[in-house]
Amino acid sequence: MKREQKPAPSAEHQKYLRRLRREDGLVGVSRIGLLLALLGIWELVAAMQWVDPFIISSPSRIARTIAELAADGSLFYHIGTTLWETLAGFAIAVTLGTAIALLLWWSERARRILEPYIVVLNSLPKIALGPVLIVWFGTGAASIVFMTVLVGIIVATLNMLGGFLATDKNKILLLRSMGASKRQILTKLVLPSALPDFIGMLKVCVGMAWIGSIMGEYIVSKAGLGYLIVYGGQVFRLDLVMAATVILCALAAAMYAPVALAERILVKK
Amino acid sequence: MNRRTDAPALEFAGVSLTYHTKEGETLAAADLSFAVEEGEFIAVIGPSGCGKTTLLSLAAGLIAPSSGSIRVRGGEQGAGRFGYMLQRDELFPWRTVEQNILLPLEIRRDRSPQAARRALALAEKYGLGGFLKQYPDRLSGGMRQRAALIRTLAASPDILLLDEPFSALDYQTRLNVCDDVYHIIRSEKKTALLVTHDISEAISVADRILVLSARPARVVAAHAPGFGDIAPLRRREDPRFGGWFETLWKELNV
Repeated sequence: MKREQKPAPSAEHQKYLRRLRREDGLVGVSRIGLLLALLGIWELVAAMQWVDPFIISSPSRIARTIAELAADGSLFYHIGTTLWETLAGFAIAVTLGTAIALLLWWSERARRILEPYIVVLNSLPKIALGPVLIVWFGTGAASIVFMTVLVGIIVATLNMLGGFLATDKNKILLLRSMGASKRQILTKLVLPSALPDFIGMLKVCVGMAWIGSIMGEYIVSKAGLGYLIVYGGQVFRLDLVMAATVILCALAAAMYAPVALAERILVKK
Repeated sequence: MNRRTDAPALEFAGVSLTYHTKEGETLAAADLSFAVEEGEFIAVIGPSGCGKTTLLSLAAGLIAPSSGSIRVRGGEQGAGRFGYMLQRDELFPWRTVEQNILLPLEIRRDRSPQAARRALALAEKYGLGGFLKQYPDRLSGGMRQRAALIRTLAASPDILLLDEPFSALDYQTRLNVCDDVYHIIRSEKKTALLVTHDISEAISVADRILVLSARPARVVAAHAPGFGDIAPLRRREDPRFGGWFETLWKELNV
């Protein structure tokens, strides 16, 4: 279809658009301004020795620490370790969680049988399994990946199962009247209509994966950002703790971005 | 399967249905008997909650009767020969109009180019040609319901089952779409079974009207208004229309 030719906007509409743009600009400037103000105050408080910078660190000291870590290459080693563990755990949790949700959708009996187990696993603080993990999987990356999976998988399962079960009953009836098999109902209707739930689940699981990997590194690790934070705390190097935390913030935001992008592309409306 | 050509398109003989839930059992239909002849347009009306939708599910073989028999052209029923149309169009928003229309063929794994061509020719014939590559959210309510009807016809069903297909539309659209659907069903020479709570709608489309009782549903009256091929909107202007409305109104309210 051809695009309709729009008439030139009226003066009133132009004024309205200008006001919208000005509002957007104000919000953007304020966001950056707020960050700069906080960093400035922090730096000032530390520089004037109002509070001992040994305790609160300061933006410039954090920047210097990051630069030092980058110079000797250990920064990328720690980032790489944590990133690897997080992504691996995320991928496994999402895949297994979706698969389990499918199984539970398929069989109502399985759903009823497994329900109390899922409820208990969901409420259990996963960190309680820390010692068990160390004994079973050792002190390497495997333990941390497993912890990440553990934190994410139940959330992934419950989110997807909710999405699958919310499939429009009338659309199922329609497909059944066409003679569709359960498998066809799954592939033609349940899976495509659960796409928004899948994206929503990915968003939640990104957060869960970071919780899992950092928690895992707190319990047992020789490298990674979580390790840096714990180590920095033990030797009272707050610069190191803060530096690792700042990097963690940046990485978590960076991992969220592609999911948000996928949502914009895949989910209409 | 022995199909006889002189047998009714659809026949209910002494059909009873009992629903079972934890709370107890409900007799939804008792000794329900009627026949739909080939090419006939039948409307079923009844008080709300009498199980009109259940009747369609029984006809389509989606639920089995507790007793009695349901025959399709004299043979046992089997899924796939029925086309179901619901209150809402239930078009899949992630599929284009064309993909929606071809859905029943996909479900049947009918990959013959003739079947697809036939379905798309129907869409073309009834004014959907320009919308095939669009997504349903670009269509008006009336056009969506028309697309839903073409989808129903795509699999060449023997019998159309219409479950209040106009009730979700606003009044003016409803009259137009009703006219529209009536014409398409007539010109495609389809057998149709419509359930509705709207007396006027029943009179305006049906060759015969069955009146159901409150639960347990049974047929309490059958009428042939005798409007022949007069279109729904014309029927509403016919002097006989008011008389039929009154008759059916009384029967529903006994």
